[in-house]
Formats: sequence, C-alpha cells, structure tokens
Amino acid sequence: MNAAANELPTYVLERTFDAPRDLVWRTFTEADLLARWYGPNIETVIHQLDVTPGGLWLVEMKMGERSGYQRIEYSEVKPPERLVWLQSNADADWNIAPNPMMADWPLTLLTTVTFAEENAKTNMRLTWVPHEASEAEIACFAAAVQGLDKGWAAGMAILEAMLAELQVE
Amino acid sequence: MESISYAKSEPNLDAVFAALADPTRRAILSKLAAGEASVKDIAAPFDMSQPAVSKHLRVLEEAGLVARGVDKQRRPARLKAEPMAAAADWLAEFKAFWSESFDQLDGLLDDLKRAEKKGTY
Repeated sequence: MNAAANELPTYVLERTFDAPRDLVWRTFTEADLLARWYGPNIETVIHQLDVTPGGLWLVEMKMGERSGYQRIEYSEVKPPERLVWLQSNADADWNIAPNPMMADWPLTLLTTVTFAEENAKTNMRLTWVPHEASEAEIACFAAAVQGLDKGWAAGMAILEAMLAELQVE
Repeated sequence: MESISYAKSEPNLDAVFAALADPTRRAILSKLAAGEASVKDIAAPFDMSQPAVSKHLRVLEEAGLVARGVDKQRRPARLKAEPMAAAADWLAEFKAFWSESFDQLDGLLDDLKRAEKKGTY
C-alpha cells in the first residue's frame, strides 16, 4: 500500500488575491506586513521572524487579558511560490504545547502554502496535514476537517434541529 | 485562575470529535435529530445488529451527544445539542481565524498597491 500519506486528513483553503505574486509573497515574509494581517481583529506581536529553512516565526496574539502563542518553523522557502512550515501552539516560553481547548488537536500541523500568478492576480492554496501525529490526533483532525469543509453542512442541519428541539423543551 | 476560567464548563471536545469521526454515528445522530428512538428503531435502516448500534450509542452517550431514557425496556435515545454547539463554535473559530485574517490581507494588499503607485512604499 502506498496510500499512507494520502490517508491523512487534509484541510485545504484556497483564495485569490487581487495583487501580483511578489507583493503577496512580501506580506507573508516581512514582519511589519505580516503583523498587519495575521490574526483576526486582534493585536499580533511578532517576536521573531526568520523565513529560511529551519528559521522560526514566533507570534503572540493578544486577546484581552489572554495571549495565544504560535511557534512556526519553516522547512521549505522558495520565493515567491512556495512556503512550507510546521505550526504548533506554544506556551509563553515558546515550547510546543497542546491546544488549551482540545487536547487531541494535532500538536503540529504541516502547512504548505503555494502562490500562483494569473492575470496579475495571485491564487493561494494553503493546506494543513497533521505532522507525526498520534491516531487520536489524526481522528480529531479528521472529524474537524469534515466540519471545516462542506461536510459540516450536514452537522449544521442536525444542530439546528437539536436547537429547535431544545427551545421547545 | 485565568487559564481555567474558559475551560470549566466546556464539554469534552476530544470525545465529541472522536464520536463524530464515524459515518455510522453521524447517521445515527441524523436519525435522532428527527426525534427520540429505540435501539431497534435506530438499527432498522442499517445493516447492523442491535448490539453494534448499542456500542455506537455508548460512544455518543459518553461524548454527551446522546441521552438514554429510563424506560427499562426501550431506553430510547435522544440528542443533546450543547456539545455539538461547542464543537461547531470551535470549528467556526478555526475557520474565522483564517478567513478574517485573509480579509485583512486583502485590505493590506490594496493599501500596498496604492502606495506603490504613488511611489511611497
């Protein structure tokens, strides 16, 4: 069987940006630009950014009193078309740590981002795959991936039915 | 104190996702969304024995997604929504993190393009 790698659940996110590829690349690799978009409506502090193979991106996201920390280690850097990194939650000392909300969330996700230019626009494709994950982590991520894509529509329908039922009770 | 304050009443999301990772269990949940049912009722549409269904129900019950009635003969199963809602919130947050980040990136790229045209960046 050569399917081992293919059997891993994968989450795919695709997006087209109305900008040339070189510019999109800069927003992913220059700290002052990265800090301006990474993290939704929260203060993002980039403590370290070294976009080279083996280099680290250490990022703190301030959410009120609380901070979330992410540790990212680059494994492949091919300007301006491909970035590969290993992404983990971290503690305040930048040690890899389990997700505080879900113990079985994969400790490390292999992230691959590719950029393709077409008619002065840039198509970005970002994928996540559990990295060196346990069976429990893979199962947890697989269930979540089903939820993250259109499969969750069925779950949502169930949820709506349940919520309606609860309100009757 | 701060670190546990948001976790105290969380359902066990690991168990919820593990329970949802199986297509038969998702089908059982869909059936129960239409109303409570006995093991026999649940087993009927599946090519599956009642003990096999009971096993799946136990997993769902342990994840908090299903409650069993006290009627000794039937022990009807019914859905419980809260853990599912917590799982949905988690997924929505994960997805929102990236889609909202990329919305912000769209805006940043517009700013950069404008600045480039003016030669100021």
